[in-house]
Amino acid sequence: MRKFLRTIFLIDLIEGLWVTFHYQRPKYIVTEQYPAQRPKVAERYRGAPRLNINPENGETLCIACNLCALACPENLIVVGAERNEQTRRKELTTFIYDTSRCMFCGLCEDACPVDALELTQDFEMAGYNRDGQVWDRQMLEEGPRPKQYKY
Amino acid sequence: MAVSPWEGELSAMLKQRFPDQISEFSTYLGQNFLIAHPEAVIPILEFLRFEAEFDYLVDVTAVDYLQRQERFDLVYVLYSFARNERIRVKTLIADGYKPPTATRVYLTANWLEREVFDMFGIEFAGHPDMRRILLPEDWEGYPLRKDKSILDCDNKWIEEHLGIEGGQ
Amino acid sequence: MPDQTFLDSTELVLNMGPQHPSTHGVLRVVLKLDGEKVLGADCVIGYLHRGVEKIGENRTYQQFAPYVDRMDYCAAVSNGLGYCLAVEKLLNAEAPPRAQAVRVILTELNRIASHLIWLGTHALDIGAITPLFYVMREREEILNIFEKYCGARLTTHAFRIGGLQYETYDGLEQDVKAACDHVLPKIDEYERLLTGNRIWIGRLQNVGVLNAADCKQYGVTGPMLRAAGVKWDLRKAQPYSGYQQYDFEIPTGTNGDTYDRYRVRMEEMRQSVRIIRQAVERIPEGSIMAKIPKVIKPPVGEAYVSIEAPKGELGYFIVSDGSTQPYRLRVRPPSFVNLQALDQMTRGALVADVVAIIGTLDIVLGEVDR
Repeated sequence: MRKFLRTIFLIDLIEGLWVTFHYQRPKYIVTEQYPAQRPKVAERYRGAPRLNINPENGETLCIACNLCALACPENLIVVGAERNEQTRRKELTTFIYDTSRCMFCGLCEDACPVDALELTQDFEMAGYNRDGQVWDRQMLEEGPRPKQYKY
Repeated sequence: MAVSPWEGELSAMLKQRFPDQISEFSTYLGQNFLIAHPEAVIPILEFLRFEAEFDYLVDVTAVDYLQRQERFDLVYVLYSFARNERIRVKTLIADGYKPPTATRVYLTANWLEREVFDMFGIEFAGHPDMRRILLPEDWEGYPLRKDKSILDCDNKWIEEHLGIEGGQ
Repeated sequence: MPDQTFLDSTELVLNMGPQHPSTHGVLRVVLKLDGEKVLGADCVIGYLHRGVEKIGENRTYQQFAPYVDRMDYCAAVSNGLGYCLAVEKLLNAEAPPRAQAVRVILTELNRIASHLIWLGTHALDIGAITPLFYVMREREEILNIFEKYCGARLTTHAFRIGGLQYETYDGLEQDVKAACDHVLPKIDEYERLLTGNRIWIGRLQNVGVLNAADCKQYGVTGPMLRAAGVKWDLRKAQPYSGYQQYDFEIPTGTNGDTYDRYRVRMEEMRQSVRIIRQAVERIPEGSIMAKIPKVIKPPVGEAYVSIEAPKGELGYFIVSDGSTQPYRLRVRPPSFVNLQALDQMTRGALVADVVAIIGTLDIVLGEVDR
C-alpha cells in the first residue's frame, strides 16, 4: 500500500527534486569566477619552469651539470656550457627549454642537484601560435608573468 | 634469466598429460610459466580451462627477439578463480608461422589476438575476424617489431589521409 | 555478424561515430539495427592510439612513469601504482611501510574520484544532468589533495619506483579526513537522487545483462564481474602494497545488469572511504624510499603484476634484458577487454540502451587504445 502511494504521488521524483532545490542558497555556490578570482595553487604545483638566481650576488645557480637534460623523457632541454679557465668550472651559457612538448612531469626539477630549475605555480602559458614556446635562458630567469586583467 | 624449476601438483599433471610437448617448467620471482611447442598450445589451454579450472584468460601478448631463429615469444597469461593462481604459457614461433587461435577456448582472445596481429604481424589461423584493431585498416607495417624504429611509420598513409608530415 | 549486402535485409547499419557526446571518448560503434532493436555492435577503436608500448621500449624505467598516467587519465594514480609495483617486482624490492600506506591512501582517493566521474558522465548520458555538477564539486576536494601532494591534479606522477618522491605535506591527514567526511554524506545524496528514482530504474534495470559465466569467458573484471555475483577483488585475492591490513568488504550484485553495476560502484566508494579512514589513522613512520640503485637496471627476466584499478584488472607485463630500458612493456588494459563484451550485451537492446551500456562499462579510451 505504501509503495502504491509512493508511486502515485511521485515521491521518489520529488525527493530528487528536493535535493536539487535545497542548493539554491548562495552559500552553496562553489564556482570560482575566473579570471577575476585566480585559483590558489599549491606550493608543489608543476607549472612553468624557472631558472633560479642566487639572491646575494645575482648569478645563476645552475652549474651546467646536464642532469635535467638527461632526465627529461622527451629530451627537450639543451644545456650549453663552457669551461671557465680561471675557476676551472663549467659555466652556463645557453639553456633552451621547449615548453611546447613538455608534459610537466617534474623529472627535471627532481633531478636538479642545486634547485636551480624549478617548476613554478604559473599555469597560464597559452599563446596564439607556436613561436614563443621554446624558452631560452633569459625568459626562464625572468620567471612567470601572469597576465593582469583590468575590470 | 635466473629461473628455477617449478615443482608442483599442476606441473606434474601437465607433465603427465603432455610429456614431450612442454620443454620447460620454470618459475621466476614466484611466477610460474611453461614453454610449450607451438602446436601443443591449444590442447594445453583446453586442458587448463576444462580440467584445471583456469577459466580466465588474462592476456595474450608477444615479445620480439630479433636475433633468435624463432623470432616471437607468444605469451598467454591465465588465472584460476578457484585456485587463485596465475600461470603463463609461452611458446616460441618463427616469423610467418600462423599459430591456431584461442577463441574457441576463451572468448577474450578475440580482440587480444587482433592486437597481437596488429602490432606484430602474427596471424592466427582460424580467427573469426582477423583484421587490424588499433591502427587503420590499410596501414602497412607492424610497429612493435624490433626492426621498426620508433620514428618509422607509414608515411604514405599519413600524407594521404591526414595531409601532414609524418615521422616527427 | 552475418555477411549480407544491405539490399537484401531489413537491417540498417548506423554509425555511432567517433565524435559523439555519449561514447566517452573517441569510440566508434557500428550498429546493425532492425528498426530500433540492435542486432549487433562492432566497435572500431584506435583513434587515440599513441603507441605507449613502443615508447616504453625507448625510455628508461623512471622516464616512462609520466606516460603511464596518460593511459587511464581518470585514475592516473592507480596506473602509476601498478607500474611501480611491476618494476619493483622485477628488482625484487619492496616499498617501505610508510610509502605503502600513503600509496594506499592516494590510490583509494583516486578510486573514489574515478567512480565519481563515472557516475557523473553515466548519469549525464542517461539524461540526469544534475549529478555531474555535484560530482565535480566532490572531485575538487580530492584533486586539491593530489595537487598539494605531488603538484598536478590529473596526470599526477605521484609514485616513484621504490617508494615516494615527496614526503607528505603538513596537513595531509587533516585534509584526507575532511575529504572523507565531505564525500560520504554526498554519496548518500546521490543515492537519494538516483537509486529509487523510477526513471533511473526503468532505464537501467535488465539492460546489458552479463552473467557470471559470460564475464569469465570474456575476461571481464572489476565492478562488472562483481555485479554479476562473483565475489572477487584483487585487493583481497592477491593483496599488494599492504592491503591485507585493512578491513573492507567486496560489494556484489545479483543480476549483472546495469543497475547492479551502479549499486556496486556506489558501495565501492563507501568501502574506499572505509579503507582510507583506517589507513590515515596509522601511517607508520620511517623512510619513504627503498634502497634501490639510482640507475635502475633490473636483471634479465620478466614479470606480470596486476592491480585492482577502478576499471578492472590492470596488468603490466615487463620483459627486461638487463639494460636501463625495458625490452617489452605490455599494459593489459581493463577497458579494452571489457569493451569486447559490448556486442554480447547490446544484442536485443534498443539504441538508447547502447548509450547506457557504454556508460556502464566505464571505459576510458586512453586505456583502450593506449
